[in-house]
Amino acid sequence: MPSPAILVRDLKKVYGAKAAVDGVDLEVPRGSFFGFLGPNGAGKSTTIRMLTGLVPADSGSIEILGFHLPKDELEIKRRIGLVPDESLLFDRLTGAEFLEFVGRMYGLGRPTAIARAGRLLELFEVQAGRKLIGEYSKGMRKRVAMAASLIHHPELFLMDEPFEGVDAVGARLMKDILLDQVARGATIFLTSHVLEVVERLCDRAAIIHNGKIVTCGTLAELRSGGESLEDAFVRVVGAERQGELLDWL
Amino acid sequence: MIAAILRAQWLSTRPGAGRGAVFGAITAVLWYGLWAAGAVAAGVFLSHASGSTVLSAVPLGMLLVCSYWQIVPVFSASMGAGLDLRRLLAYPLPHGDLFLIELLLRLASGTEMVLVLLGGSIGLLANRSYGGPAAVPRIVSPQLLFVLFNVLTASGMRSLLERIMARRKVREMAAVILALMWGLPRIYLRTGSAVKSWNGPASGLQRVGFPWTAAAQTTLGLSWLPMLWLALWVVAALVFARRQFDRTLRYDATAMQATPLTVRPSAWASLAEQFYRLPGLFLRDPLAGIAEKELRSLARTPRFRMVFIMGFTFGLMVWFPSMIGHHGYQSAPSPYFLPTVCLYALTLMGQVTYWNCFGFDRSASALYFVAPQPIRQTLLGKNIAALLFIYLEVLILTVVTAILRVIPGWPGIVEMLVVIGVCSLYMLALGNLSSVNYPRALVAERATQGARGGARFQGLIFLLYPITLLPVFMAYLARYAFDSQLAFVLVLSIAAIIGGVLYGIAMESAVNTAHRRREAILAELSRS
Repeated sequence: MPSPAILVRDLKKVYGAKAAVDGVDLEVPRGSFFGFLGPNGAGKSTTIRMLTGLVPADSGSIEILGFHLPKDELEIKRRIGLVPDESLLFDRLTGAEFLEFVGRMYGLGRPTAIARAGRLLELFEVQAGRKLIGEYSKGMRKRVAMAASLIHHPELFLMDEPFEGVDAVGARLMKDILLDQVARGATIFLTSHVLEVVERLCDRAAIIHNGKIVTCGTLAELRSGGESLEDAFVRVVGAERQGELLDWL
Repeated sequence: MIAAILRAQWLSTRPGAGRGAVFGAITAVLWYGLWAAGAVAAGVFLSHASGSTVLSAVPLGMLLVCSYWQIVPVFSASMGAGLDLRRLLAYPLPHGDLFLIELLLRLASGTEMVLVLLGGSIGLLANRSYGGPAAVPRIVSPQLLFVLFNVLTASGMRSLLERIMARRKVREMAAVILALMWGLPRIYLRTGSAVKSWNGPASGLQRVGFPWTAAAQTTLGLSWLPMLWLALWVVAALVFARRQFDRTLRYDATAMQATPLTVRPSAWASLAEQFYRLPGLFLRDPLAGIAEKELRSLARTPRFRMVFIMGFTFGLMVWFPSMIGHHGYQSAPSPYFLPTVCLYALTLMGQVTYWNCFGFDRSASALYFVAPQPIRQTLLGKNIAALLFIYLEVLILTVVTAILRVIPGWPGIVEMLVVIGVCSLYMLALGNLSSVNYPRALVAERATQGARGGARFQGLIFLLYPITLLPVFMAYLARYAFDSQLAFVLVLSIAAIIGGVLYGIAMESAVNTAHRRREAILAELSRS
């Protein structure tokens, strides 16, 4: 039986007096489309940043595709594709130049990188000519970021709010590409505030709140008694409105 | 409302905790300490100076203050503290309030000069001929007007230059014009005969009253007329500053910087592409890829391009007049001219390349930490790109000096290339350390920028330059002392070996620091 795509045990990260991630246990099976949900500041981005090695964990263990972090850091990096919440795009390059650069960073030869860059730009419908990435719209930037995450054909995708700022056409395009990747055996781990996206795409999900995993399982397991994912989310994180509206508003 | 905006500005630029705060505090103490010492020196000098000395020193001092306030921010490509006031246009704020905020920021950027003026004023008050309690209004009021004039002019110049520099291609032209504005009068005056022809108009202008002479003459109580002139200068500066400020508020920099969707291929673009591909000819990926990316990105970065052009224009303009005798060229060109201008270019390039090599990448630097290449390759790739630009600059300077007929000959050129290489080793070594220990986000789109603590950081770097140049200086000293080329070569060889070892050690340390501090580095680079 293959090892899980992601296996996290008792992961902790503390900033000052606040535990951003507080003893997280997580198992993401290979080939799954996994949604990682949580309110703002719950610890989603910190978890993803620890999985990519951008942020060192204070304690706990991380195993990705059977490799241990930080010991096998380079092996893991070769196998993952990342779409972070913050831009990893170099503003003074064109989209094609950026994709070529990323391909070469992942060990593709220049001819292969150039060829793949061209195909990916076509696939993502990015036709910006000599325009620099710094002049792209937010949606275009997301498309290029996702194209960059695909160029080395990774086994695992880590995506932090990949559809934020993307229009409906772009989002549909990106979703189709991601579903195709999962059908081909890749694993996708994504965070999103848009619960409809998770409901439509993901087969499994976990909800993190105050740095702890409060629930994890298939979508059917998360939704008890036929409620929507939004209802389940609000119930689990305990965000029912308690007070009155502001009297001056 | 103004207080709220200034408070927000202060809160957003306050130093963070930890080593950043310590570094900020040390550089602030060093920088302002130096200026405070200068202010004390000015005060002591003026308090003991004779009447005739005061008469000649005060106008000169005021001229120096005005020059520093107006010219240095332009020449160092750092326009002082800035707040993008256009962001505040969405709020119901009168433009007059925004203008006032701009003036307060310009005043904060000129703190060094306020210190010097304060020291000088106290010195004058203590002077037996010109001071005393009764002189307080006479000395203080023109000083305040002079500060106001400088603040207004600095604001107007900043707005004007920001708009000019935001335009594609125009900004590079502007840099050359600025260099000529600085250098041509000096060359003209150095040629001797020009001095006579300038005497008439210069003395006439002196009578009319430049702002610094008007302020000085009023301060010394020579006449009431200069006060009127000073007031007129302030009014003119106010009109200039306000007009420029309003135009900048309405200016759409993004539209001016936009790349046309279709660009015709040109011979220049093809040449540039060949230059970008240069690392691929002798390096393997990912090193070649990183160096190529760096060459492309930097070449398209307005701030880098400005500094690059300044490297081979300002250096020549500063040093070339020294080469010229009063009646033309000296009999033989100085062998130190080319190395001097090349070293000036090397030091100038530091702020946009090796001192803060992740600065323009900003948050995208995270890619270097998530991609599977070791961070050592990243630093090495960036160093190679910096070195290629440095040697391109040297090539341009060599061609220009050949045209000006002040080139030292082939042995001199080879010597200069080696000297630049050895100095680069030291600078890149320290640059790698500073890049991972004190990274700062830079805005590529703006030709000028006052980054957080930028002036103080530059101040510290100016202190580091003598250390990095010391080994090469020792080689020249050996040649001078022993009158022997062999001594020069020997010392330079030792300097190169030590530089190589230092570079290796610094690289190791920088790599370890990058791994250990990656979270802090990325947090700092993600700040806007």
